[in-house]
Amino acid sequence: MTTSDGLRIKRNLNALVEFSKAVNSSLDLEFILNNLLLTCMGKFFATKGAIAINENGNLKLKVSKGVDSDYTENFPVLTMKDVIDETGNFISITESGSFICSELIQASDKNLGLIFLGDKLNKTPYSSEDIQFLKTILNISATAIQNSLVINELKKVNHSLDTRINRLNSLFELSKEFGLFAESAKVVKLLVYSIIGQFMISKYAVIIFENNELNIIETKFPSAELNKYLDKNEFENIDSYIGADKLKSRYSSLFDLGVELIVPMQLQGKTKGIILLGGRASKQSYINNEIEFIYSVGSLAIISIENKRLFKEELEKHKLEEELDLARDIQKNLLPRNIKQLKNFEITAENISSNQVGGDYFDVIPKDEENCYLAIADVSGKGVPASLLMANLQAFLKSVCKQEISLVEGTAMINDLVSENVTGGKFITFFWASINDTNKTISYVNAGHNPPLLVRNKKIIRLEKGGMILGIMKTKYQYLTETIQLLKDDMLILFTDGITEAMDINQNEYSDKKLEKFVRSLDNKSAKETIDLIQKDVKKFTLGAVQSDDMTLLVVKVK
Amino acid sequence: MTEFNTSTKNIGDVNVVYLKGFLDAHTAPILENAFSSLVEQNKYKLVVNLKDLIYISSAGLGVFMAFIEKIREHNGDIKLSSMNEKVFNIFDLLGFPLLYEIFDNEEDAVKKFSGDKK
Repeated sequence: MTTSDGLRIKRNLNALVEFSKAVNSSLDLEFILNNLLLTCMGKFFATKGAIAINENGNLKLKVSKGVDSDYTENFPVLTMKDVIDETGNFISITESGSFICSELIQASDKNLGLIFLGDKLNKTPYSSEDIQFLKTILNISATAIQNSLVINELKKVNHSLDTRINRLNSLFELSKEFGLFAESAKVVKLLVYSIIGQFMISKYAVIIFENNELNIIETKFPSAELNKYLDKNEFENIDSYIGADKLKSRYSSLFDLGVELIVPMQLQGKTKGIILLGGRASKQSYINNEIEFIYSVGSLAIISIENKRLFKEELEKHKLEEELDLARDIQKNLLPRNIKQLKNFEITAENISSNQVGGDYFDVIPKDEENCYLAIADVSGKGVPASLLMANLQAFLKSVCKQEISLVEGTAMINDLVSENVTGGKFITFFWASINDTNKTISYVNAGHNPPLLVRNKKIIRLEKGGMILGIMKTKYQYLTETIQLLKDDMLILFTDGITEAMDINQNEYSDKKLEKFVRSLDNKSAKETIDLIQKDVKKFTLGAVQSDDMTLLVVKVK
Repeated sequence: MTEFNTSTKNIGDVNVVYLKGFLDAHTAPILENAFSSLVEQNKYKLVVNLKDLIYISSAGLGVFMAFIEKIREHNGDIKLSSMNEKVFNIFDLLGFPLLYEIFDNEEDAVKKFSGDKK
């Protein structure tokens, strides 16, 4: 070995040691590759060089020197299969003619990438000694390259983990907030802020489908256009997201507005709203797990919005029910609670109200020591209007009873008052009578009410004399009246159509016939017993079917 | 306990907004109101000093997104300064440095506005 050979080897070794120190001190891939390439180019006086790294079988150019700046884009598509044959031998390739030497970078059994080198400055070919040295350098750097690749991979994994953690935090945070806010506008605002903050979006819209309408809650797109281009029927039926490609081909008008993603907000599989998003500031397109996140927060928001809506609805229903209860109470209070008993008459009454506020009315109004008025009425319709009209009738009746006027005149007067005060075809069937406790007589006027029954010796007399229903028009013809001498054990039965029209589950009515037959069958019962028995019979007939009308009975037994 | 609050200061025609505490979905409306009122007064040159911001969630970042377009349309900007590492990491994670200028200190951010003018 000559001295110069020795020096050369020493220099080479020095270079190797220095190089090894440099590349192994860093975990920065770019720094290592740069250093590797420059060292090789410097050692071999190569004018061109490039390193490509194996990424899942594909070779990606990472660093290049001495080549045109657009080389990165022109780097051919290469896979590891192109450079290693079936037997595992390396096929030297020198791409585009720019390079004349290529070598594999290997760490243990892994192929990390390729290095390409161009012409030497002195145009001499690469000697086997050169190649040997190159291989040594590559071996030294391989570990460093592999380490840095692992670190890069870890960084990536970490980043995606951080992103997921961040999204989970957002979800958690939103679910907490959505429970607290009362207004859906606020829920939607938080929803959009979370989404646009997470994905750096500046254009968005949130639309909720409500009772056949598109309700644009928030939008940075022009609303007029949205209204024009969004067909509710169509979007109510989407059950998965619509990405940019589909928007471009199917909803080009929306795409032209800048909409790049539509995500449905679903509740129990039904689309209750949609989120429209524009492009991201980073120009990246939306990937699956991002869309999933948007879908999740969207659904979270819609649950909160829907719950609030249902709660409000329930509250209003509750309020309405409370009002109805109140109306029912008021109405009940209009009916007499304690009926004054007379010497010769036993008087009992019963009102069973249905679920709704009905329009049945009865009253027993003492006139003087001897005389007493009985009244029963049924106001058409139900609910609050009917109960108001009934209250009116009661007021009229009470004031008429105080006047010294006949039943006929009184009826005419009440009819006039009612006619003046009703609207919309409402009317009242009305029967009233005056009974005399001394003479045991009854005088009555029937204004279209179901004729009360006078049961005498199992025979029935219907009290039908009278005239027109109250409220149709002002009194034109005088009402008729009749006075009947009552006998001991006569039973007077006043009722409303809630009794005779009570229905069984097959919609059959209890009927006048049944009522008459039943009361004829009763033997010497008291008024109270009669009422109970009639009610029982009706109940037996209806067998628990829900009744829509009030039932009122007023029974007078002559002692 | 105040979870989050903002205060503002004028430096020339630049408004510096100081954020303090936790900026999350719960407190995001506070920042939103602060930005809204500045924009209403046609103040579009904003430096947001995040020195005392302990935490920011994506809802908080969303507020920045919601105003940036309008502010830039009026030749203004939102520049960020003085954020701690934890807060920066969240900004970084979601890619905000692409869209927003972030400065180490408030002075540099304010200066950038006067530099922009030339």
